[in-house]
Amino acid sequence: MLPRIVEVRKNVLKKNDLAAAALRDRFRAAGVCVVSVVSSPGSGKTAFLETTLALMRSRYRTAALVGDLATECDAERLRRSGAPVRQITTGTVCHLDAEMIERALDGRALADLDCLFIENGGNLVCPASYGPGEQLRVVLLSVTEGEDKPLKYPTIFNSADIAVVTKIDLAEAVGFDHAALLRNIERVRPGMPVLPVSSRTTYGFSSWMALIARRIGDAQPEPTPVHIDG
Amino acid sequence: MSRRAPRGNLESHRTESMHELSIALSLVDAVCEELPRLGEKVSIRRVLLRIGPLAGVSADALACAFEIASSDSPIAGARLEIEQADGRALEIAALKVVDAAADC
Repeated sequence: MLPRIVEVRKNVLKKNDLAAAALRDRFRAAGVCVVSVVSSPGSGKTAFLETTLALMRSRYRTAALVGDLATECDAERLRRSGAPVRQITTGTVCHLDAEMIERALDGRALADLDCLFIENGGNLVCPASYGPGEQLRVVLLSVTEGEDKPLKYPTIFNSADIAVVTKIDLAEAVGFDHAALLRNIERVRPGMPVLPVSSRTTYGFSSWMALIARRIGDAQPEPTPVHIDG
Repeated sequence: MSRRAPRGNLESHRTESMHELSIALSLVDAVCEELPRLGEKVSIRRVLLRIGPLAGVSADALACAFEIASSDSPIAGARLEIEQADGRALEIAALKVVDAAADC
């Protein structure tokens, strides 16, 4: 029998996309704002989240999921903020996908939360393909990494909603060219908001907190109409 | 604008290959899911894949990873053919199949 060609037209990542869509629905129904943070190793994701969780502590109910190849180090650092933190060790897998998030959330009451942070393992390649169903994706890059990062990893900058420039307190020491970075981001993702911060001095965190507060407000479920008898 | 890691940069090279291996495993799963609707005894000869420049996937690394990912699967022996597409496309366009009975 002759070979036959069967037309398929199927997205390779359909399974993850479906799982991500289911998670997104679950997050929406629970009224929780889900923020994922991606970057290359050493950009300061954990420090950024430490400061974020500490600043949010008095006003919001927060939690975090942390993905790493091995160890509980990051989770332990974040737990000091008092927020519940769950570590996902991915073993040899380089990213968190929707199914891993689903498993990690097992049994957690999402409606009790205002904001859930997902720290993805350090890499700028995979999370661009495997979205975990977040509502806001933040890509971090530190001033020590060089201004050309957006040109080298355009996919992650394309898939993220906002770029946060970390370790801005070191900018002068490393001769960081802020204008060049903005130009490079504009080239790969025109109009992308860029937020310079220092997790150590909390510089820039008031803008970041304002942005998160708006997102948390947006994530609140519509109030259910109250029927009054008589 | 290649994402290929420079020589000597083992860390990012590893990350990249792992990424394509993950994609390859997803691809093998996605093809295997099609098997039931293709008939009882069918063998996949070729997988036609379309990849856009913004998919974030290196075609060379994926072709290599596909061989490994498919070797121990129901579609072992299938060849991967990659075609350029637009945007973020990462889709199986078509499968070339033969009914296994014909091989006997």
